[in-house]
Amino acid sequence: MRVMLAEDNALLREGLVLLLTSAGHEVVAVAGSGPEILPALLQHRPDVAVLDVRMPPGFRDEGLRAALEAREKIPGLPVLVLSQYVEESYAAELLGGGASGVGYLLKDRVGRVDEFLDALERVASGGTALDPEVVTELLTRRRDSPLDSLTPREREVLKLMAEGHDNATIAKTLVITERSVSKHIGNVFLKLHLPPSDSGHRRVLAVLAHLNDHQQKES
Amino acid sequence: MNPVRQRPARPRTITSVPPGRSLAAMGRTIRRAARATLHLLVAAALAFGLYLFITVLLITAIGTVAVVGAWMLPETVLLIRRIAGAKRALTAAWTGRRIPEAYQPVTGTLRERLRTAVRDPGTLTDLRWTAASYVYGALLFAALPLWPLGLVVDGVWCGLLRREAVVLPLIARLADLEARWSQALLKPSPQALLAARVEELAATRADAIAAHGAELRRIERDLHDGAQARLVALSMRIGLAQRAYDRDPGAARKLLADAQDQAEEALTELRQVVRGIHPPILTDRGLVGAVRALAAGWGSPRSSEAESGGGLEVTVRVDGGLEQGPRAPAAVEAAAYFAVAEALTNAAKHSGSRRATVQLERVPRGLRAVVQDEGMGGADEKDGTGLLGIRRRVAAMDGEVTVTSPQGGPTMIAVELPCVW
Repeated sequence: MRVMLAEDNALLREGLVLLLTSAGHEVVAVAGSGPEILPALLQHRPDVAVLDVRMPPGFRDEGLRAALEAREKIPGLPVLVLSQYVEESYAAELLGGGASGVGYLLKDRVGRVDEFLDALERVASGGTALDPEVVTELLTRRRDSPLDSLTPREREVLKLMAEGHDNATIAKTLVITERSVSKHIGNVFLKLHLPPSDSGHRRVLAVLAHLNDHQQKES
Repeated sequence: MNPVRQRPARPRTITSVPPGRSLAAMGRTIRRAARATLHLLVAAALAFGLYLFITVLLITAIGTVAVVGAWMLPETVLLIRRIAGAKRALTAAWTGRRIPEAYQPVTGTLRERLRTAVRDPGTLTDLRWTAASYVYGALLFAALPLWPLGLVVDGVWCGLLRREAVVLPLIARLADLEARWSQALLKPSPQALLAARVEELAATRADAIAAHGAELRRIERDLHDGAQARLVALSMRIGLAQRAYDRDPGAARKLLADAQDQAEEALTELRQVVRGIHPPILTDRGLVGAVRALAAGWGSPRSSEAESGGGLEVTVRVDGGLEQGPRAPAAVEAAAYFAVAEALTNAAKHSGSRRATVQLERVPRGLRAVVQDEGMGGADEKDGTGLLGIRRRVAAMDGEVTVTSPQGGPTMIAVELPCVW
């Protein structure tokens, strides 16, 4: 895959380049500051962009804003946003475009190299990768919601689904059969009053959209 | 604030003069009476000017109240403040005693400025003085006739009969009287002093909060860019090493060695952040021990600070039972420590001095720390944030910073922090 990387910290930049190339990916462009991101993306048209949220010159959310802008200019551009802390509202903004190919992960996840590369590929192929912390926040911060009616197992399935995993991975993670995963998912959709959906990122978005809606109504 | 010229108090009573020196005494009396007359003349001129000013103002204000009246009021109050300020300076120049000033700042929207202008107790004080000065501003006219009379009477009395002057000193008495009345009238009311104090506390509190916020941002930034990033890089190295473990043990070993370096550097950075928040030695050894360690650090060539700024031989003196007695509150110790550290950094970097002394002492009000170098002086507070940082930190604790740094040196920075022991 051709990857564009935006990271201002030299140490992490070097590490990520090492990690990506060792996994057989090609780093086509590296940006060290917010304003460099968009031109590099327009020029190189990578398969996926890996962006840090906090970048120079302002050290605020330049990376995130560049990601949103890039997805407007290049519809469907897969973007994986990395950050040292996760913010629920950033995830909501990223998913607000409603499109596929979005990832939002803590930088800590990079250490689990295989999982990180897996998430990167998922995003590049139009899937979703949401950090477990974001999902946990989305699932726990609301009171008085249909989520309360879910069984613990259904919640676990929902959580993994929201992180962007497919049925096979969920089944493997929870050590259950794919059939029971499908059954749990059916129940979750029923209890959240969502239309039944096929596998893949669309159902993730349906779930997240539901959670986001709910959050906005609350606030 | 108006500059005040300090002058020793004059003798108020005139004792008998040895006959031989009476002529000299007479000369002094005349000179003093002349100065008094000058004082009264300025006072009368000011009163007269005020009279004209107020009259014109009243006419203008009444004439145009519908058009510009509201806008003029705060400006007028500010102008009167300036006139009263000048009067305070003049009075202080005669008595040698400063008259404090306490006004609320007139800022904000027109409505806010109007409110402050009307409600400020200082406005009432000024107006009262303005009205009264119409009357006692005329004291000059009591003084003027005393001159011919005094010159004749005292000339005979003093010059021929060798007695003390009687009439001319009365002029000085009149000036004293004028100054006393001005002082009483221009002195801010307790209410105004209180309001000014509240204003000052609000400002220092806002500064303290701003300083605190800046400090938190600095710590967050340090952690984010430093230790946190290093730990991510470290975790990444371990992940890569795990992948490479079976295929290429040599590469894995190298990655693990890198990871260990990262871990050590992360620890170093964390240590620096912790030291920036609250130096551990301050907890362990107290202010005196911590400052001694700081001083030793500047002296030793291995210290990283000494490398960047050049060695500085620091002598620490401790007075007032600071070492044996109870310790000052932690916040006071920390503020004093950072002020000393900052002052020493300044001395090493900018003064060109090779030696500095730090004096720590317990004073009745609290804790006092003085840092003095032997450098070239001329420290400018506007350049660099060091001194400003000290001022903010100390002001937040209601303390005082005095900086003396004449061209040619030396520079002395004294910090006094109030506290109960």
